[in-house]
Amino acid sequence: MIVLENVTKRYADQVPVDRVSLEVEKGELFVLLGASGSGKSTILRMIAGLVFPDEGRISIHGRDVTLLPPQARDIGLVFQNYSIFRHMTVAQNIEFGLRIRGVKAAERAKRRDELLDLVGLSGLGGRFDSQISGGQRQRVALARALAYNPGVLLLDEPFGALDVKIRVQLRQSLKEIQKRLGLTTVLVTHDQEEAFELGTRIAVIERGRLLEVGPPKRLYESPRSLFVATFLGAGAVLVGRSRGHNVELGPLTLPVPMDVPHEEGDRVRVLIRPEHILLSAEPKANVPTLGQGEVIEDTFTGSSRRIRVRMPPLAGVRQVVPAPPFGEDAVMLDVAVPAHADPPPRKPWVALEEWHILRQPTPRLLVCDEGEGLASALEFSAQLLPALNGVATVLGVAADARQQDSLRESLAARAAEAGLKESSVRVRRGETAEQILLEQRDAPYDFVLTGAGEMASLRRARRRAPQLAEELALTTTIPLLAVRGRPRRLERILICTAIGEPGKSDVRAGGWLARRMNAAATLLHVARPGRSTPFAAEHLERGVSTLRELGVAGSWAIQENEDPVDGILAFLRENAHDLVVVGAPPAGRQLPRGEPITLRALRECGTSILVVPEGSW
Amino acid sequence: MSTATAVVVRPKRRAAVPAGLVILFLLPLILMPLAAVFAFAFRGGPRAFWVALSSAEAQFALRFSLVIALVTAVINSVLGTFTAYVLSRYRFRGQRVLGIVVNLPVAIPTVVVGTSLLLLWGPIGLLGRFLGPVGLQPMFAPAGVLLAHLFVTFPYMLGAVKPVLDELEETYEEAAYTIGASTWQTFRFVILPTLKGGLFAGALLTFAHSLGEFGATVMVSGNLRLKTQTAPLYIFAQFEAGNIETANAVAAVLAILSFCIFFVLLRYTARPTDQH
Repeated sequence: MIVLENVTKRYADQVPVDRVSLEVEKGELFVLLGASGSGKSTILRMIAGLVFPDEGRISIHGRDVTLLPPQARDIGLVFQNYSIFRHMTVAQNIEFGLRIRGVKAAERAKRRDELLDLVGLSGLGGRFDSQISGGQRQRVALARALAYNPGVLLLDEPFGALDVKIRVQLRQSLKEIQKRLGLTTVLVTHDQEEAFELGTRIAVIERGRLLEVGPPKRLYESPRSLFVATFLGAGAVLVGRSRGHNVELGPLTLPVPMDVPHEEGDRVRVLIRPEHILLSAEPKANVPTLGQGEVIEDTFTGSSRRIRVRMPPLAGVRQVVPAPPFGEDAVMLDVAVPAHADPPPRKPWVALEEWHILRQPTPRLLVCDEGEGLASALEFSAQLLPALNGVATVLGVAADARQQDSLRESLAARAAEAGLKESSVRVRRGETAEQILLEQRDAPYDFVLTGAGEMASLRRARRRAPQLAEELALTTTIPLLAVRGRPRRLERILICTAIGEPGKSDVRAGGWLARRMNAAATLLHVARPGRSTPFAAEHLERGVSTLRELGVAGSWAIQENEDPVDGILAFLRENAHDLVVVGAPPAGRQLPRGEPITLRALRECGTSILVVPEGSW
Repeated sequence: MSTATAVVVRPKRRAAVPAGLVILFLLPLILMPLAAVFAFAFRGGPRAFWVALSSAEAQFALRFSLVIALVTAVINSVLGTFTAYVLSRYRFRGQRVLGIVVNLPVAIPTVVVGTSLLLLWGPIGLLGRFLGPVGLQPMFAPAGVLLAHLFVTFPYMLGAVKPVLDELEETYEEAAYTIGASTWQTFRFVILPTLKGGLFAGALLTFAHSLGEFGATVMVSGNLRLKTQTAPLYIFAQFEAGNIETANAVAAVLAILSFCIFFVLLRYTARPTDQH
């Protein structure tokens, strides 16, 4: 049995393995599955002792091996490039482990012949690396790793460099050998098919984290997260809304199982696998039917056919996978049917045989801290997290390598002091705003938090270099929460909305936060004196109903002022709010001349501000 | 069905003119001087050649050169391989600088090498002045010649071995570790055998360069007959003394030796890489 407890590996500015815990049962073939760069190979190398973890414990068959060198771990490892010793014959390669252990020549020869037979290479013992094929090399590497009867077999992408046909053969023989020897085995691969075929259980790794572990069938049929759902196999993910104990998906009302709790009005993600969709010429009774679609593509793939069906937009349904092209609100579904099945009708009715509801995603906060001064962003996230049921990553940016370690320590200490439990700390190196943007790009965060200083000190520092929050406000791709001073409890949120702009991200993001924090929301529009139109009121009314749908008590107001920011300030003076939400043009867009409203609001409002880039929510 | 065979006519490029040109300028530059050595060496007939070679001084110079070259090759094989291994396998502060420093000897004029050795180890040198009273005097002695040769030929071993090590994937060693081999066993049984070719080539190169070394040797050896006089120094001394035939006889021997080493190297490196 192999046990990993909270194993973490860090390099200068990366965390390739982040608190991974797992148990590999005796005799099982355990697969670590992930995209390249996910950290799966590093985990394997830590089990092998070729890389040492910075935190955590590793034990093999009950023995703590965390700090043992590879020689002392009793393992066999097969590398992707095989690394057959080129100056030795196949036989000498296989015998190498025995020779090192001082086994007598006769005994070595016997064992070597057994192994050559086991891997199907009898008679090739006299050949050199250059005289055998890729598949044969792989078999030699396997035999070499098995020769001294190691307690554990580790395989690092063992079939990666082989062509498809040989790969399939080798998989089969590996499976047989592993079963026959009953050897505890860990295999690393990026190939989902390989993982399914070989794995007793599969662990899906993404960005150094262990997402889910389970038998192949369980993971395929009922994944918890979106990543696992889409990484393992094809399918569509549609988002509906939760109502009572159901999810409304266009015309369908599907029950939400007890183990995936959703709050009223939450977005619910429904996974539909291609083989679970039924196409028929007439609507069928007794099967949940999504509606009538149109076949736009029919592709022959050998044993099956893939039919792509385009559905008209479904009310209240948004598609996340496959990602729809910009501006497209039709739903695209891929359907798998046996190759010999009758061609589908041109305009088929689409029904669902089965579906699966994914877990509510965990909101992820990216909390930026400088390691000194006010810890307002940290304190605010400590206040948000319990209500959001989310996780926080504390990010610091060091100017150079020397500062990294001390910054990491002070961040951890400050996070603990602010009451942030279970947060992870990341330190990047470089220019602060740039690194924060890179971190946003690298991992799926929902909000980025940063301190925005006290008003008083801000006024003094007016002529200084631009504040970090100001720099981020115009470049962030996710909502930015600039926390001013000591955080207050969120009771009233002011959402400042312009009229008639295409995205309504600010209302949605502000409303989402309001619902979870149990706060009331006010929608504010600033109009020039005498220019207020019935259209504006109508627009605000629609916003309030959006809030209501989210379960938030909302109201609206129109403030008359020549200048939008002055209008907001005037409104705030009479109606105290704890958070102001403003929109921002999507990052990268050419800004209009003059000072952007977003920036002025950030500087001049005395409260914390949520900057929501257009289209980010 | 008829098959039409397309005949591709490639315009022939005439090689006679450019090749002839190359030979024309190589003739006075390289070919004729080489021929001159042998022509002069045998001008008095084989007997005279033999007499010239069998003088005690000539014999000593040739033997001394061979011994020094051999010892230099052995010592630099070990040191060069170790240095190459460290440079290729470890990452440390100052590694780049070290990588440049170890290759410096190819760039420094050999006379300067000789001078600097004298300034360090000589009777009034930085370290040498403390050695004198103890009775040690490396300069103007065989040890000094060896030091000079080690210095001058150091980069050749490194240059032959390091590329092989650099190309050896890291998993090669890791495979040995996971199989259970210690660091030493891995080096002895896994790394060293793959370096065989590089080691051989590097050792031959070192040997050949040592055999012909002149600039540094002339400075540190004091050019003492029957004590520190290497073959190249002997040739120079005989030339200066006007014994052109004697000088040429030893020169011819050195030339033949160098040719042999060169052809072995050529054959070795021309072989497709490590076919067993």
